[in-house]
Amino acid sequence: MPIEMSAYKCTNCGQLHHPAHFVCVKCGGREFEPIPLDEEATLVTYTRVYNLPEGYMKPFISFGIARFNNGLCIAGQLETEHPAAGMKLRATVGTVKEGIGQDYLGLIFHAID
Amino acid sequence: MREVGIVGVGHTKFGKSGVPFGHLLSLAAVEALDDAGIIPGEGHGVDQVIVASMGAGMINRQHGVASALVDSLNLRPAMAETVENGPASGASAVKLAFMAIASGMADVALVVGGEMMRVVSGWEATDFVATMLHPEAEYNYGLTLPALAGMFTRLCMEKYGIAETDLARVAVKNHANAMHNPVAHIQLVPDLAAITTDEDALIINPYVAEPLHVYDVCPVSDGSAALVLCALDIAARFKHKPIKIAGIGQATDTHAVAERAVPTDLLAVRLAAAKAYAMAGLQPEDVDVAELHDAFAILEIVEAEEVGFFPRGQGHLAVRSGATEIGGKIPINTSGGLKAKGHPLGATGVSQLVELTRQLRGEAGGRQVVGAKTGLAVNFGGFGNNVVATILTKGEE
Ligand SMILES: [Zn+2]
Repeated sequence: MPIEMSAYKCTNCGQLHHPAHFVCVKCGGREFEPIPLDEEATLVTYTRVYNLPEGYMKPFISFGIARFNNGLCIAGQLETEHPAAGMKLRATVGTVKEGIGQDYLGLIFHAID
Repeated sequence: MREVGIVGVGHTKFGKSGVPFGHLLSLAAVEALDDAGIIPGEGHGVDQVIVASMGAGMINRQHGVASALVDSLNLRPAMAETVENGPASGASAVKLAFMAIASGMADVALVVGGEMMRVVSGWEATDFVATMLHPEAEYNYGLTLPALAGMFTRLCMEKYGIAETDLARVAVKNHANAMHNPVAHIQLVPDLAAITTDEDALIINPYVAEPLHVYDVCPVSDGSAALVLCALDIAARFKHKPIKIAGIGQATDTHAVAERAVPTDLLAVRLAAAKAYAMAGLQPEDVDVAELHDAFAILEIVEAEEVGFFPRGQGHLAVRSGATEIGGKIPINTSGGLKAKGHPLGATGVSQLVELTRQLRGEAGGRQVVGAKTGLAVNFGGFGNNVVATILTKGEE
């Protein structure tokens, strides 16, 4: 099932990008169409960070880089107690940072039970 | 293109400064001017001043810093610019001064790198540094430089069999070197077992961003460093025999780290070093001493591989064997590196070249690499998305 986070597909050559680029990394094209990301991804690497920057009222946050089935590798927050490289993840979209007057949405990865 | 050399060096003690930012920059600047024998005022001969700082505007709320410095030092009407290129600002400023002289537009240039970060809290400093990450794909998630370094470290450990103890060995080596460097921020040598295998190691050396511990990460420092550059064809004006800037290379990489094709590579380091070697007509084997940007211990190991000192995946074995210690095959971070000397962002690239100049002049005291003739510095911006490599050589005796 697709989630509301996008890859950006070059309308000229089909190359996928995330984050959005202004110029296609493959053909130089400048037009892209958003393609919803799959729900499933695989964990490539991860960390748990204890010294958080301004604006986070938590003792730690875990982060991971995950590979989607379309080949894109994307960083996100990781909500699983026992991360391991190669584990299957379910990608969701949620609030990754609370801002003044605006919350920031991003990818949050969960372990698939 | 005219050849360019270094004829003056200056360096404040890194740590907590306690003086205003402009004053901090001036301290290193006047030391470098004195070292070169330049007397400010009429006829000073300094054509160009470049200041490197990443956070002057954001942390210190000061812009136009180079213009202010020129006036403070009585070097009017020299040309002046402030350069921001993240943690690679220092080496970028040296590159631009080199270009100004090589082109013939200037004969003499003063480069000053400086940062005053300890005026804000640790979490504000971490947040400020993280503003160079990709805004949507990284920064908004709460990702920081230590977070990216932690994920990079885990990949390298899994791929090459690097142990947490190997990272700690880098820290212990660099702290030991810093004991001989009076301008280093931290003057203590941790015990390897106490920070790795002892029962209470995790209390002394807790995780910052797993698998990185406190001792795998550089401190937050204030400080400044300065160089006087001149065209070699006019170098006889100065007190010191010039140390030649033989090669400079720079390269960029993807902004979002997750987009890199081989996530354990530091491609911009490899490309920047290759360009610097080509310009200098030298090989990795020719380098006698190196300052590599060890903001995180893993970076010293992987950079040493990417610049050609060791094959990929063997940098940690070189650390175990002592090859990167003073007296080893290729001494790395004789100054103490970012880990122990400190990392005032804009100052770091300049500070690395101050250290190499002192090494090539034979002025490095207890940390001297005997007979050093060629030095390499790697100044690493972002998480490796903008890297400058610089090669210095000592002229013929
Ligand atoms: Zn395309």
